[in-house]
Amino acid sequence: MLVTWKYRPRDTFIQSLDPRARLTFMACVILAITATDVWDARLLLPVFAISMVLYFMARIEWRDVRRAWIFILVFILFIIGLNALLGGRGGPLSVLQDDSSVLYALSIPIPLTPWRINLTVTVVRSFFALVQMMRMITMAALAIPIPYTIDPSIYGVTFRRMGASDKLSFTMDLAFRFVPTLGRDFMITMDAQRARGYELESVRGGLIQRLRRLAPLLVPVTMQAIVNGEEVIDAMDLRAFGARRRTWLRELHLRQRDYWFMALGVIILVIMMTARILGYGEFWVPGFWYRLVGT
Amino acid sequence: MSDQPVLQVINLSFRYHSRPDIAIEQISFDLQPGEMLLVAGASGCGKTTLARCINGLIPRSYHGDRSGSVLVKGREVSQMSLVEVAQQVGTLLQDPERQIVSSYVVGEIAFGLENLGLPREEIYRRMDEVFDRLNLNHLRERETFTLSGGEKQKVALAGVLVMRPAVLLLDEPLASLDPASAHEAIQIFRSLADEGTAIILIEHRVEDALQARPDRLLYMENGRMCYLGAVDTFPKELNYHAVKLPAPWVVQRVMQEKKPSLMTVLPQPANPQAEKLVSFKNVSFAYGDGPEVLHNINLDIRQGDLIAVLGPNGAGKSTLVKHAIGLLKPTRGEVLIKGVDSREQSVAQIARSIGYVFQSPTHMLFAPTVREEVAFGPENLKFDKQDIQRNVTESLSVVNLVGMEGYPPLGLSFGQQKRTTIAAVLAMRSEIMVLDEPTAGQDYANYTRFMDMLCRAQDGEGRSLLTANFKATLFITHDLDLAVTYANRILLISEGRLVADGSPESVLRDFTLLESCRVRPTSLLRMNLELLPKTGHFLPAEALAPYFSDAYSKSNHSISAGL
Repeated sequence: MLVTWKYRPRDTFIQSLDPRARLTFMACVILAITATDVWDARLLLPVFAISMVLYFMARIEWRDVRRAWIFILVFILFIIGLNALLGGRGGPLSVLQDDSSVLYALSIPIPLTPWRINLTVTVVRSFFALVQMMRMITMAALAIPIPYTIDPSIYGVTFRRMGASDKLSFTMDLAFRFVPTLGRDFMITMDAQRARGYELESVRGGLIQRLRRLAPLLVPVTMQAIVNGEEVIDAMDLRAFGARRRTWLRELHLRQRDYWFMALGVIILVIMMTARILGYGEFWVPGFWYRLVGT
Repeated sequence: MSDQPVLQVINLSFRYHSRPDIAIEQISFDLQPGEMLLVAGASGCGKTTLARCINGLIPRSYHGDRSGSVLVKGREVSQMSLVEVAQQVGTLLQDPERQIVSSYVVGEIAFGLENLGLPREEIYRRMDEVFDRLNLNHLRERETFTLSGGEKQKVALAGVLVMRPAVLLLDEPLASLDPASAHEAIQIFRSLADEGTAIILIEHRVEDALQARPDRLLYMENGRMCYLGAVDTFPKELNYHAVKLPAPWVVQRVMQEKKPSLMTVLPQPANPQAEKLVSFKNVSFAYGDGPEVLHNINLDIRQGDLIAVLGPNGAGKSTLVKHAIGLLKPTRGEVLIKGVDSREQSVAQIARSIGYVFQSPTHMLFAPTVREEVAFGPENLKFDKQDIQRNVTESLSVVNLVGMEGYPPLGLSFGQQKRTTIAAVLAMRSEIMVLDEPTAGQDYANYTRFMDMLCRAQDGEGRSLLTANFKATLFITHDLDLAVTYANRILLISEGRLVADGSPESVLRDFTLLESCRVRPTSLLRMNLELLPKTGHFLPAEALAPYFSDAYSKSNHSISAGL
């Protein structure tokens, strides 16, 4: 099948937590390592370690997450890693205005223009790339387990309990309900068009051309979804959806461990904020790095 | 039954703002607690509009001019709040797939009660009741997407019943079910009525609906009431072309009217010596690492075959047919298409030999015009331009869509869309036609018209569209009467096995076998078997009339025996 949810019940600490606690913790950590502008690896490393420990505690099978990790690592390495390594972009001023030893320099002429691209890897930028990747992996390790470890049936109630409206929250549940239907419709349409000699492999060319070649798949699936949508709305109206404040049958209870977990997130955020206010957290290159990269 | 009607419909008329014609006109009836009213009629007769007036979707979601009144327990529906209507009128929509809004069974059944804002204890109490009432406890922890069609419908029904409606509105509840599941559903509806729920059963398959023993019948045509009354006798107002009636009723009417029967081409018997087109040799199949879903299938599709593939939902009918068109390749054994292993051919190559018409036209129609839609297949198969043009013109002429070439297929009526899909396959010049549930989604009048178009004699030699254009035809169906009337060979599939393969007259006489495969014998089959010594082969109900002797015809009782 095209769409399957990878969630399965596991007897782990992570899955015993209330999803609100996990989302709150994740929000705190993401804020702590992005919004506070802390670049000091000595502060970021413990957060990275906590995130990795939590990831491994979730005990998700590698074959389930392999594709997600490969995608994220490739993304981080090539886009963010190279960007940071070569230009120091996305980093603090000290990295942009860096005058440390040059490890490697390359100047590539742009054909037919008088300009050149100058790529200069310095000691500072090489360590900055490392820190930047560490920040990204910290966030990825918290986010990737979510679909594997939160029961799809409690997203709606989770958002409701976090203050979203009934309608918005139930939209989450509806999405989980109808994505597999959409996947199944897509497969049927794919089979129907293949039986008419259509081959997806032959979809080549520019964007417009590709879209035209994809129309035999996209139009029927979209039409089907619209037709279904109208009946679903009728079905919901007929059972009084949205008529008054609804009860959510599924109950969520914050237990002591959830409060501790949220507190950990808040502590991380407060430490980072305080560090910044007190003037700590600037980008820092350890001495050993100079020795390691040979300058 | 008490004397106080739970539902009163008084001189109800409605016209949609978006359409010029009036949808329903001067409808009046009432319904007592525990009474079951069967509402029958062809597509467009106003059944759905009537349902929307009763459940309050008109005037809330669909706007138009409404006159007359609909009173539930004495209160006008259009003046009740959504919450109030939802607790009085429960509606089961035609397709449970679209009615179910929750990923889990428990969530689905609780949905309405959650929307009413009831306390959790009350919701659980009512859910327990309905789980017990409909014997659904084994489905409690299931995901709704994984349920079978019959299970989905029971869950959808539970989600309605849990709100304790005084009136239950069932809108073509049998349409998406296989015969055995439909029979179970009918038993449930009957027992609900016996327990005091007033039921409106909207269904064009009157023969099946009669098994629920409705108290009265409302028959509609063009938005008007043609008949309202008892169903124990066959009302003369009923048009047997518009709704599916029991075969004895049809025979009785044909004999009274003394009209010649329709000239449907009787299928020639299958010839076991004819040219082999497709061969299944020891074919087994499993999806990935999953359990085997086809077990050791052996069969040959030969020239002249008109095969009906019968069996319950999930038996493996579609999986079997997908092997013939190369969409699936066997895990063990081989499928030979014109002598070549399907593994050595792409789906596009096989499409030159076998054309497949999927169940729902909306799954395949996409092009801006009918012409482009029909040309899509031949273009993919790299036919040259002149051939494409000729094929398209000829195919559209065969399915009677000349003049519609420039229309958008998605703007056509359902019947025209089905014909466009047939033309799309015709234009590919395939040798074998495969039809998946050719009658699904159509009412009786439309599907008999559609099947007549495919099977009625078209040329001087008495050949039909199918026999003139294809060497063999294979259709998957739940409709046993379709197999009785149009096939010359039956494949009976159960749990991934081919349990019977032979002529309709030989396979369909074994009722024990049929029932073990969840195929329910119909009145037409019973009547045909009874008359087989005289007829020699199976016939449509109308063609059976001449075989009844005068003495036989005078006795309604004898004819009704087939019911």
